[in-house]
Amino acid sequence: MTVMELKIRARDYGAELAAATLPRVPAGSHPLANCPSSQQVKDVSREEVDFDDPLRATTRKVEDFSKNVEQVELATTRGIDHELNKVSSKEWAAFKRSLTQRFPVTQTISTTLTSDIVMRSDRAPEKSLASVHLDELDDPKKFAEKEARVLTKQEYLSQLNEFKEEIRRAWLAGDRVTSLRTSIKVARLLLDTSVLQFYPTLFVLVIDTMDMLGDLVWDRIKKKAEFSDDGSQICSLSGTFTSNDVCSEAKETCSNWFCKIGSIRELLPRIYLELAILHCYRFLQDNFFATIQRLTMMMRGIADPLAYIYCHLYMVSCVHKLPLPSTDFLIDSISDIETALKRIVLVKESSEENYEHRKMLFNLMEPTIEWIMKCVFRGCSQSKINDVSVKVGLGRNQLTMTENVPCISIILHHFIKQLPIEVVNTKAWEILQVIECCNDISLDQYFNFRLLGLKLSECRPTRNVADAIIGRIFQAGSQLDDIYKYLKVADAYLDLVLQYQMDQYLAIILGGIFVRIGSKRATEDESDSLQSIYGKILNHFCNLEDIFSLDYFIEILDTVHGVSRNTVNMRILKKATRNGYIQDPRMIQLLFEVARSLHDSIDYANMKNEDHQQPSHHICLFVSKVDFVADLEQHLTFLIECRAVFRNTNEIKETLVHSCNSLAVKAIRDEEKRLDFVRSCIAFNEVTIPSITNVIGRMNSYLETAEVALLGGLVPHTDELIESAIDTLRSLEMSDGAQLPSGVGGIFPLVRKLCSFLVIVPGNLDEGTTWAPRNIISTVNPVSCTIPEFRIKTFCAVLLLSAALAQDKLPYHSDNREIVGNDQLFFGEPSYFRELESISSVVLQNLIDGVQQESSPVVRGNLALEACNCVVSSFEASHETTRICAKLMEIAKSCLQSKHGYLQNTLRVTNKYIANVPVNVSAFSAPTIQRESISSSPLQ
Amino acid sequence: MSIQIKLSRASRVYRPNEHLQGVIVTTSTNSISHQGIRITLNGTVNLQIRAGMAGVIDSFYNVVKPISIINKSSEIQSSGKLGAGTTEIPFSITLSSQQHDGGERFYETYHGANISIQYLLTADMVRGYLHKSLSTTIEVIIESDKAYLAAAPVSPETVSFYITQDTQKHPLLPELLSGGFRVTGKVSTCCSVSNPITGDLVVEASATPIQSIDILLLRTESILAGDKILTDTSVVQTTQVADGDVCRGMTLPIYVIIPRLLMCPTILAGRPFSVEFQLTVVVSFQSELSKRQPKSDLRTPRLWVAMETLPLRLIRTK
Repeated sequence: MTVMELKIRARDYGAELAAATLPRVPAGSHPLANCPSSQQVKDVSREEVDFDDPLRATTRKVEDFSKNVEQVELATTRGIDHELNKVSSKEWAAFKRSLTQRFPVTQTISTTLTSDIVMRSDRAPEKSLASVHLDELDDPKKFAEKEARVLTKQEYLSQLNEFKEEIRRAWLAGDRVTSLRTSIKVARLLLDTSVLQFYPTLFVLVIDTMDMLGDLVWDRIKKKAEFSDDGSQICSLSGTFTSNDVCSEAKETCSNWFCKIGSIRELLPRIYLELAILHCYRFLQDNFFATIQRLTMMMRGIADPLAYIYCHLYMVSCVHKLPLPSTDFLIDSISDIETALKRIVLVKESSEENYEHRKMLFNLMEPTIEWIMKCVFRGCSQSKINDVSVKVGLGRNQLTMTENVPCISIILHHFIKQLPIEVVNTKAWEILQVIECCNDISLDQYFNFRLLGLKLSECRPTRNVADAIIGRIFQAGSQLDDIYKYLKVADAYLDLVLQYQMDQYLAIILGGIFVRIGSKRATEDESDSLQSIYGKILNHFCNLEDIFSLDYFIEILDTVHGVSRNTVNMRILKKATRNGYIQDPRMIQLLFEVARSLHDSIDYANMKNEDHQQPSHHICLFVSKVDFVADLEQHLTFLIECRAVFRNTNEIKETLVHSCNSLAVKAIRDEEKRLDFVRSCIAFNEVTIPSITNVIGRMNSYLETAEVALLGGLVPHTDELIESAIDTLRSLEMSDGAQLPSGVGGIFPLVRKLCSFLVIVPGNLDEGTTWAPRNIISTVNPVSCTIPEFRIKTFCAVLLLSAALAQDKLPYHSDNREIVGNDQLFFGEPSYFRELESISSVVLQNLIDGVQQESSPVVRGNLALEACNCVVSSFEASHETTRICAKLMEIAKSCLQSKHGYLQNTLRVTNKYIANVPVNVSAFSAPTIQRESISSSPLQ
Repeated sequence: MSIQIKLSRASRVYRPNEHLQGVIVTTSTNSISHQGIRITLNGTVNLQIRAGMAGVIDSFYNVVKPISIINKSSEIQSSGKLGAGTTEIPFSITLSSQQHDGGERFYETYHGANISIQYLLTADMVRGYLHKSLSTTIEVIIESDKAYLAAAPVSPETVSFYITQDTQKHPLLPELLSGGFRVTGKVSTCCSVSNPITGDLVVEASATPIQSIDILLLRTESILAGDKILTDTSVVQTTQVADGDVCRGMTLPIYVIIPRLLMCPTILAGRPFSVEFQLTVVVSFQSELSKRQPKSDLRTPRLWVAMETLPLRLIRTK
């Protein structure tokens, strides 16, 4: 194709800008500026009164509200006891769920005692007594060993469900005896505590069945009481009926049920079934205390501690169905449980296996104790609660306390847990003393110390009390030798220590931790606690210097590893970067170490991008906040150090480049232009940038550095950097276009930025005045490996660049006055303009083909419009340019809807443009267009 | 076509001198004629002698005649016709033994092993020559006349007991003898059949772990046959009060609901028969031997079992 006749349009950018911008009027006041302060205060005070935002309701309103709620609650509880029970039944359901979740069941359950119940389907026909005796003679040993069978969990559960279904079926069929028999079988399952872990799950399943039976019996008796045989209603029992309202016939049925259950031989099933229908006692009597008391006592006959305690739990849940004024009977439960637990606690035997077994037992019992204690505090009268406190050791006088056997640790724990904080506040010292004498296997003592700490932090004790207690716990030679326990306790008391600014204790605690942890690595659990402790310290102090000056702070931090370490490190960095620049060299060094450990701990190879983004971000913030004030060299040294350490993330390297550039600019602005320093900064960047693997980041860094170099007047450096940037672009093009990071949208703005920067870069006489635009074109020109969209946009950018360069006066110049713009450098030089025109013509020739390569019609249309606008604004109308414009418009029209705004505007401008073509020229153009259209037709 | 008796009381419990009332319900698809509907109340003491009873010789088998308490019959409808559908015919019998002056008193209903006291109410519909008679029987439960009952004792009579290795009449395991044990307690020995037997026990000491503590209710039935008294003791009910090695020094309640029908107020000797009750506290200890015989009868004195038997007098109170 021949070189086109082109004339670049002369433009007055200033006038164009003025014409295109909206008229501007100076504003009287800043719209975002603050109002005068006095007025603001007034507003706020008014707001407190009238403002009706529910989220910002004043405290007074909240109090009112809570008072109302209380009143409502009171009213409901007074009205009907059942309302209260309903609430707790919801809680109970949640508790049951948590029970099964807390002790997940392994897949198989080996059963001994229950096997004949559960596996009755394949049970052999009953052996006669004689044959049993014969067996016994044959192999007495074999007979003695109970046969353990292994069932999968699923089998067991489905068998239980089958039982449940059987009970319901038999009941509906009127065969209540079978229902009862099956229920007894189910209750017997609870006799087997051999698979400890399974017991809570089993318990929940069994009591569900029991409850079902209880409800069936209840409904039946209630129906008997309300309706006569022939179905006519006798009476209606309200929620608060008494036994007097119940007819004798219903009473008869009811007592029959209790008789039947009373004849069950085995103790545990008998108790469970009586509990299941416990609420039916309402038909017979109005005072239930004797019954509950008897049941509580009967349970004492269950020697297995696990079965015993869970039986109490079931009783608590059943008793809630009775209308009782209080749950005072629970005190007996608690003291019975304590007696039972004492037996386990005081076992002399101390083999390892036995110890583990006992630990496990307590673990399984803990939720039940917690629940019962909760019910004690919910429902018991105050005098009874006082009884419990005496029982656990509070309120006794000092003399008797030392004599008595201390309370069981686990019971004490849950007692304190439920204790209202006001009581904890007033009796804190006493509680501490009780805790000190109570240390047994059931629950490690440190849990109680910790609990007291947490409770105290809630209730804000007086300074003296806090001081005494903390002093006592953390005194030298405290009982807490184990680092983990020490950390747990320290964590609980730290809030108090910080709140009251008891710095001496903070020092003691940190010292204590340091002594205990020594130089070993903290385990995961310990690290968690340390993380929490460090979090609290970091939150409390406003100044990082104060924190770092704490004894052992850094030393202890060094023992923490893993996720906790990273979390702490990030918090430190966050704290450091929150308030302005970091100028203290010692602080910088410490933080640098923190950042280094954070960086080193990140496993970049095996982590997803999102996971290490946050730590990197914190490191970046830190790097950018470091400020050595006037000592630029040291700052650069710091950056070099950083580069050596933070090798792994692009983000940090980009930050380093950016920091270095700011440093260079600082040097340039300096009175005594320190060009050598600027050079070393640029050299630093030239080394750093290639290691940035992210193309956009690299490109951006190159451009930024090039700008700085130009500002510093270092034109050769600028040229080199531009070349590197274009090379980066090329390396991108080499790779598959589809893999462009964040698409064309990500990289293209950088190309545009490059072109606009090139406007002020003086032409290089050695390389040719327009080497850079040519380089760009040659980068994108290989059709095979470029996305058409990117290619066209780049072409447009180059076109606009050429047009700008061809102006008599450039639109803008470098800030550095020593840099002479191309407008002055090549003023009136014809070869320069020819050069620019030739670039333009190369681009123009490729424009239409390029547009047509785009596959998506919408994108193609938009590209055509963009290209067309570009041509129209850059060149004087000639037959060549109008032909191209017409062609582009044609493409755009075929791709876009006619109502498209951009299309219409461009069409208007283009039509005007085409109309400007000199007449004689357009006469010639007709055959050219024809020829062109013929030649290009195969492409269409 | 069916005939049924429906009593006025669902519990079927009546007392002497009360009216035993109810309806006879007949259901039929078409009308039927009959030659009279009759209701009969028959109360008897059935005495049975089995092998195994003390002093039994084969020739005594089943020779003891039942003792009649009451046999009352009345026609409640003379011959006539019943319409189709359900017909209810009311009846009423006074429970009095006036017909039998000097006859037996009303014993309470009792279903024992060798002795049973039963009251059966039968309704008969005689339907002439060609048709089968219709008949149905229902058991009525008789309890003592309230008017003659003693008031419930204010404090039930209780007896203290203690069980140690020295109180046992049978041989014990050597470890039981050497280690020793002591279970003490108290239990009511005279109580009302409608109330539970109450008491408590404490395992004060035991070197050997306890397997189980059970309360057995025993009945001793004696029958006068000829000039011999034949006696048999059997278990009515077993109630476990301790399962496993319970805490020492803890009071465990004894609470046994007296099973209805299977027990009745004590009938003392001086009649052709007597029914008496006992209560046995059985303490079984854990041992290798007991594991091998898991299903042994608790009454048998075994090496690993200690027991104490106490008399139990049952009465009916108001």
